[in-house]
Amino acid sequence: MRLAFILGEIASGLRRNLAMVVSVILVTFVSLTFVGAAGMLQLQINQMKGYWYDRVQVAIFLCGPGSSAAGCSGGAVTPDQQKSIQALLASPAVAQYVNDYHFESQAEAYQHFKEQFANSPIVDSVTPDQLPSSFRINLKDPEKYQIISETFSSRPGVETVIDQRQLLERLFSVMNGASFVAIVIAAVMIVCAILLIGTTIRLSAFSRRRETGIMRLVGASKLVIQLPFVLEGVIAAVVGAVLASATLWAVARFFLGDVLAKQYPDTAFISPTQALMLSPLLIGLGVILAGTSSMLTLRRYLKV
Amino acid sequence: MIRFDNVTMAYDKKARPALDSVSIEVERGEFAFLVGPSGSGKSTFLRLVLREDRATAGAVFVAGQNVAKLSSWRVPRLRRGIGVVFQDFRLLPQKTVFANVAFAMQVIGKNRSVIRETVPEVLKTVGLEGMGHRMPHELSGGEQQRVAIARAVVNRPGILLADEPTGNLDPTTSQGIMQVLDKINQNGTTVVMATHDDDIVNSMRKRVIELGKGRVVRDEAKALYTSMMPVVPSRRSEQGRLRERVTTPAGLGEEEN
Ligand SMILES: Nc1ncnc2c1ncn2[C@@H]1O[C@H](COP(=O)(O)OP(=O)(O)OP(=O)(O)O)[C@@H](O)[C@H]1O
Ligand SMILES: [Mg+2]
Repeated sequence: MRLAFILGEIASGLRRNLAMVVSVILVTFVSLTFVGAAGMLQLQINQMKGYWYDRVQVAIFLCGPGSSAAGCSGGAVTPDQQKSIQALLASPAVAQYVNDYHFESQAEAYQHFKEQFANSPIVDSVTPDQLPSSFRINLKDPEKYQIISETFSSRPGVETVIDQRQLLERLFSVMNGASFVAIVIAAVMIVCAILLIGTTIRLSAFSRRRETGIMRLVGASKLVIQLPFVLEGVIAAVVGAVLASATLWAVARFFLGDVLAKQYPDTAFISPTQALMLSPLLIGLGVILAGTSSMLTLRRYLKV
Repeated sequence: MIRFDNVTMAYDKKARPALDSVSIEVERGEFAFLVGPSGSGKSTFLRLVLREDRATAGAVFVAGQNVAKLSSWRVPRLRRGIGVVFQDFRLLPQKTVFANVAFAMQVIGKNRSVIRETVPEVLKTVGLEGMGHRMPHELSGGEQQRVAIARAVVNRPGILLADEPTGNLDPTTSQGIMQVLDKINQNGTTVVMATHDDDIVNSMRKRVIELGKGRVVRDEAKALYTSMMPVVPSRRSEQGRLRERVTTPAGLGEEEN
């Protein structure tokens, strides 16, 4: 009976306050979507780290005919220079850090380049002799990049030594920056949501002050008086959280899954299921937001 | 049933207290009028019984319990034992008569079958048999007050507090309301009614507790609105004199100190 009564009170409260309830839903929806976006970026970073860290290499690019770097003053790398670099790689001093290495010729480099930029018109304007040949080194400990760099970068015939991991780190820091921005926007929106939920509950309590006054007088418990208001806010926030989860799922399914995955076939994007794993977090956050802000409001504005 | 032990209630430290060292006992099953000029503390008295406020000093006992000592989650239980009626009825305008009365049972978790059975009975007691489907705006003031009384007593409280229940009603309608309250009192409910209505007090001949500036100036059984005792000056007289003379020679000072 009491449950049916409370449910009835909630329904009437939601109906009376419809415009406010809709705005609470929208604000929690937007704020939680930003929280979720930050979460998805982090998941994506982890995914890419897991995928790439085993595969990335240190690349020693050798001088080509047109190289302008300091070490390339003698023009393109000579076979002797290339041999001495390879000998150094095999020497015990360097070999202790190296898992394995291989040589990538200009033709192979062109092949990889074509694959990587298959969708881009840039392929047509590049010829194999414009791309440098290189030694690709897989390190035992990627942190030891510095040693390789110091050993090889001043060797004759070496144009430059590049740590691909550093390129990835740069990408990750961009993504981290994006998730930071998302979190800041989310924080502002969450403040909006808290204030709006408070105001909504206050209006709701005001419009039902006759009922609550009588409830108090006839001895209704605090729970029965307050619960409908708290649940009103919580339900609106949960609806917002569900909408946010649906949006994240849609982004993972259609944007990452269909659009980006085609453009970057060698990148592992997070799956829609992974995006949905953020949903309990968002719903929980919505419930906590609405619950605390409505309880604080009621403590001030609803006498029991 | 209700006992005030030297109760002082000061809403505002600087102003005169709304109640000043009031000691009163209302027995179980009694009917008492609370009279006195505006601002004399009648409503304050009722608020203290309901624990809407806590006394500044002294103790208020309801059914043997010191209400100031109740923890806040026990206050609802205290209030379930007390029905309240106001001058302005306070019905819920969107609900029918039946729903208004049923509301008081729903919110304390009574089940539907009990409600369906009890509400018509109570409506009959207050003289509104068969009017359960009406909306409040379709009722006269007297009928609305009967609904309010029905709502106040539907959970069978031991005490009924009425704050000027006839304040908005004409004399004939008021008499009808008094009959209802009397009937409820006959059934064993303690009734305390604050009023300005001298005709009603005079016709009922019940106990009268008169307050003046927060003090009990008269407490008389089977009494009239104004005291028959010569020592009590007319209500027009100067207030300082009134307090002096009634507290001493009226001889009703067992409650005073
Ligand atoms: N909530 C409050 N805050 C401050 N002062 C109050 C409050 N309620 C009552 N008072 C003061 O307490 C005194 C007694 O008020 P109370 O309402 O008890 O009088 P009353 O006898 O019921 O008057 P009336 O016959 O007009 O209803 C008054 O001086 C009033 O101004
Ligand atoms: Mg009053």
